[in-house]
Amino acid sequence: MNSPAGGRDATTGCEFQENLEYLRQINFFSGLSIESLKVFAYLCTRETFAAGETIFSPQDDDGQAYYLISGAARLVYPDAAGDILVRTFNAGQFLGGLSLLSGIRHLYALQAQGETLCLVLTRERFLKALEQFPELVPKILKAAVETVRGWEKRYLFDMLDKRGLSQSMAGISVL
Amino acid sequence: MGATPTPVIRRSLFSWIWGANTRLQILVLLLISVTVFARVLPLEMQKRIVNEAIRLQQIDLLITYCLTYLAAVISASGLKYLVTVLQVTISQRTLARMRQDLYGHIISLPLGFFRSTQPGLVVSSLVSELALPANFVGMAVAVPVINLLTLLAFAGYLFWLHPLLAILSLAIYPLALFLIPLLQRRVNQANAERVDLSRRMSDKIQESIAGIHEIHGNGAYRIENRKFGDLVSLMYRVRLRWDLYRAAVKVTNNFFTSLGPFVVFLLGGYLTIQGQLELGALVAFLSAQEKLYDPWKELVEFYQAYQDGVVTYDKTMRYFDAEPEHALEPEGREPYRLDGRVEVQDLAFVTGDGIHLLDGVNFTLEPGEHMALVGFSGSGKSTLALCIGQLYSYTDGRVRLGGVEVSRMSKRDIICNSGFISQAPYIFDGTIEENLLYACAARQENDGGAPPEGLPTLDDQIEVLQQTGLFLDTLRFGLNTILQRDARSALVDQLIRVRSNFQQQYGKALADYVEFFNKDHYLFYSSVLENMLFGAPVRFDTETAGLAVQPFFIRFLQKAALEEPLIALGRDLTHQTVNILGNLAPDAVFFEQSPISADELEAYKALSRRIRKEGSQPLAPADRQMLLDLALRFAPGRHKMVSLPPEMEHQVLEGRALFRDLTERENPGAFAFYEAARYIHSQTILNNIIFGKTKRSGSKAQDKILQHIVRLLIQEDLLETIVQIGMQFQVGSKGDKLSGGQRQKLAVGRALLKSTPLLIMDEATSALDNASQARIQNLLETRLKGKTTVIAVVHRLDIVKNYDKVAVMKAGRIIEMGRYDDLVAGKGALYELTSGRA
Repeated sequence: MNSPAGGRDATTGCEFQENLEYLRQINFFSGLSIESLKVFAYLCTRETFAAGETIFSPQDDDGQAYYLISGAARLVYPDAAGDILVRTFNAGQFLGGLSLLSGIRHLYALQAQGETLCLVLTRERFLKALEQFPELVPKILKAAVETVRGWEKRYLFDMLDKRGLSQSMAGISVL
Repeated sequence: MGATPTPVIRRSLFSWIWGANTRLQILVLLLISVTVFARVLPLEMQKRIVNEAIRLQQIDLLITYCLTYLAAVISASGLKYLVTVLQVTISQRTLARMRQDLYGHIISLPLGFFRSTQPGLVVSSLVSELALPANFVGMAVAVPVINLLTLLAFAGYLFWLHPLLAILSLAIYPLALFLIPLLQRRVNQANAERVDLSRRMSDKIQESIAGIHEIHGNGAYRIENRKFGDLVSLMYRVRLRWDLYRAAVKVTNNFFTSLGPFVVFLLGGYLTIQGQLELGALVAFLSAQEKLYDPWKELVEFYQAYQDGVVTYDKTMRYFDAEPEHALEPEGREPYRLDGRVEVQDLAFVTGDGIHLLDGVNFTLEPGEHMALVGFSGSGKSTLALCIGQLYSYTDGRVRLGGVEVSRMSKRDIICNSGFISQAPYIFDGTIEENLLYACAARQENDGGAPPEGLPTLDDQIEVLQQTGLFLDTLRFGLNTILQRDARSALVDQLIRVRSNFQQQYGKALADYVEFFNKDHYLFYSSVLENMLFGAPVRFDTETAGLAVQPFFIRFLQKAALEEPLIALGRDLTHQTVNILGNLAPDAVFFEQSPISADELEAYKALSRRIRKEGSQPLAPADRQMLLDLALRFAPGRHKMVSLPPEMEHQVLEGRALFRDLTERENPGAFAFYEAARYIHSQTILNNIIFGKTKRSGSKAQDKILQHIVRLLIQEDLLETIVQIGMQFQVGSKGDKLSGGQRQKLAVGRALLKSTPLLIMDEATSALDNASQARIQNLLETRLKGKTTVIAVVHRLDIVKNYDKVAVMKAGRIIEMGRYDDLVAGKGALYELTSGRA
C-alpha cells in the first residue's frame, strides 16, 4: 500500500505483516483464505522466553499455540529419574495446533533453550475468529487430521526401519 | 397473591382494550361525545348564516354565528388532538405491557422450547410484531366510536334537513360495505403470500452469500441470477396484486363517497329550483354530506388496522403457546427451607422420540455428602444433574430434595434450596459485583420485584473471590482502572508511596517487563499523544478528541511540523485496520489491539472508502480530524498493524520539548507533566504504580508484575480497596471482556455466595487451569463437606478421589457406585476408566 504523503509506507515491515508471513508457512493454517489469515496474524502476540524458562508444564492446559520465530525449545517428559528429552523445536517450527481446537492438558513440558521469541495465538482468540469464518472449520480439521496421518507415517517407516513396530501403539491415524 | 392471571398467550386481543386501560378509554368516550357535538354545530351555523344573517342582512347575527362557528371548529380540533393523545398513550402502554408480559412468559418456558426456536424470531416478535396489535388497541374505542357517532350525527342532521334526499345520498354506503370486505380479503391473501415470499427470498440471498466461493469458482453468476430472478418476478407479481387491491379498496371507497354529491346536486338542485328546499339547507346538506367522507375513510382504515392487528397478534401468541413446566412461585406459602438430603428412585428420562437418556437411576445422599458423577460422554451424567436441578423434567421415578418431590416444587423453592453451575456459564452485561450477586439477588426478588435486601456483605464477596481464584483477576481489573479526578487524596498519596517503593525495590528487576516513563525516550507502549504531552491535561478534556480540536494544540502540531505526517499515519492506520477488522463482529477480543473501537469502525470504514475514492484530492476538515485523532492514539507497542515511521519518532521527541515550552509560555498550569512524585489522573492505577506501561502482554509476565505489586499494596493496606474498585469492572455483553476461565470462576462464585443446601456442578471447573481447579476442589472438601450436599459431574478423574461417593454412569444407568478406593480396588468400571486415562 502506498502512502500519498511523503512516499513512506508504515504498513510494510510491520509486525503484523511479518506475522502474516509466518502463518502462511505453517501447515496448520495452509489452505485458509488470506482474509482469515490476516485476522489470525493480527490476533497473534509475541512472547520472549529467557533461557531455561518453562513455556508450558505437564498437565497444564495453557490454551496456546506457538511458532518459534527465533531460538529453540526442548520438549521434555519430567520423569522421576530426571527429564527425558522428547524432541527439540527450532526456529520456524509450530506446535500446539490441537490446543487451539480444544482444551488439552499437555503431557510434556516445553522449555526455552536460549532466549526464544515465539509468536503466540490463544485458543480463545482463535475460536472467536473462527466463529467469523465458519467455512474454515473443515479446512482446519483437515489440516489437523493430515498432521496426525503424516506423523504416524513417519513413525511407521521409522519403526519399520528399526524393525521395532509396537502393534499395540500403532494405528493412531485410523482411530 | 390473588387469582392466577390468564397467561399472556391466552389473552384475546380484545382483552387489552379495557383492563388496565379502562379509565383512559372512558375518558376517551367522554371527550368523543363533546367532540361530535362540536363537529355538527358548524353545519347548523352555516345554514343559519345563509338563511338568517345573509338573507335578513343582519350583521350582528352574522358575527354571532361566525364566532360560534369558529369556537366550534377550535373546540373540535382541540378535542380531536386530546383524543389522539389518549389513543397514542393507550397504544404505547399496551405495547409496553404486551412486550413485558410476553418476554416474562417466553423466558419462563422450558429449555426444550428454545432448542427449536430461533432467537431472531423472539426478537422480531417482541420488537416489531406486537406494534400492529397495540396500534389497534389504541384505536379500538376512539376511532370507531368517534367516527360512527360523527357519521350518525351527520346522517341524522341530513334526515332532519330532508329525509328523502338523505335516504338517496346514503343509499350508496351499504353497497360499499359489501364490496370493501371482499376486496380486503384479496389484500390479506396477497399480503400473506408476500410474507412467505420474503422469507424465501431472504433464504436464497443467505444461500448465495454463504456459497459465494462456489459461484465465483464456477462462474455461475447467470445461473444464480436466474434463480433469484424467478423469485423477484414472483415477488413483483404478488406485490403488484397486493398494491392494486389496496388501491382498489381506496378507489372503490372514493367512488361511492363521490356519488353522494351527484345525487344531492341533481335532486337537491331540482328541489331548490322548485322552491321545495331552501338554498341554505342545500348548502348545509352538501357540506354535511362532504363531511361524511372523513369518518367513513377512517372507519375503513380502522377496519384494515383491525385485520392486520388480529392476524399478527394471533400468529405471534400462537407461536409461544407453551406452558412453563413449573409454577414460578409457591402458592399460598413461603418457599421451602429444606435440608440437603437427595433421594433418587427409579429415575427415568425419555425424550419425545423415545430415547432413554436415564433409566432406573437410584441413589441417596445424606445432607452434606458429596457425589461425583463420572462416565463417558453421552452416559447421562449431565442429564441426571439437570433433572435433579429441575432444569429437565424427568418422565418417571422420583427425585426428592429434603423429602419434597422436585417435580412438584415451584421454581422459587428450587432456587432457594439449590445452586447450579453449568459447564458453559452465561455471564450478563454489568459489573463483576452485579454478576457475583446475580443468584442472591434473584433469590431475594419477590413477586412484586421489591429491591433485594440482605445481600452478602463486601467481606463475603471478597472471600468468595479468593476461594474461586478470581481475586487476582479482580485486582488486575482494579489496577487497570483510571481513578476519578476527585478520588480520595489519601488513596492517591498511598499510591504514590507504592510507586516509590516499586521503583526502589523492583525497578531494575522488572526493566524487561515495563517501559518506564522517561522524558528522553520515545514510549512505544504509550500513544503518540501521550508521547508528545508527556503529561496529563488539567484543563482540557482528557480524551484525545477533546484536545486535538483545541487551536492551541493545532498550532503546536503545525509548529512541530507534525500535522501532515500524523494525517498520513492516520490514513495508513485507517486503511489497514479496516482491511483487517472491517467485516468482523463487534466482539471485544477483536478490538483489544486496535486503535479504532468497535463503535467507530463503521465511521472509519466510510472514511477509508472516501479516501480511496477521492485519491489525491484534499480531504474535508472533518475527515482530517478523524485521521488526526486516530494517529494521536496510535501506540506502536500495542497496535501492530502499522509501524511507527522512524523519522516520526525523532520528530515527536523534539515535539515533546517544544510542547512543554509552549505550554509554559501560553498555558501555564494547563498540563501536569509526568513526575515521580505526582499522580497522573489520565493513567490507570497500574501505570501510576509502575510509572510506565507494561511491555509484555503474556499472562506470565503480567503475573510477575502483579506478584510484586500485591506485596506493596499489602504493605499500604490497599489490596481490598483496589479489589473493590475492580469489582466495578464492566464485563461486557455476554461477559466478552472476561476469559473463559474468569467466566467460569465467576459462575462458581455466584453459586457459592448463594450458599444453598444443595450444589449441582455440571463440569463446573472444566475451563480452569490446574491450580484454579485444585483450589476449588480443596474448597469443596474443606468448607462444604458435611454442610452442603454436592453433586458434581466430573470429566477429570484425578479430582474425584476424595468424594464420598463416585457414581459411574453408562447408557443412562449408574453401573457402579461407592468410594473411589473401593471401586478402583474392585477393578470394575471406574478402574477401567482410570487405567485408560492418558
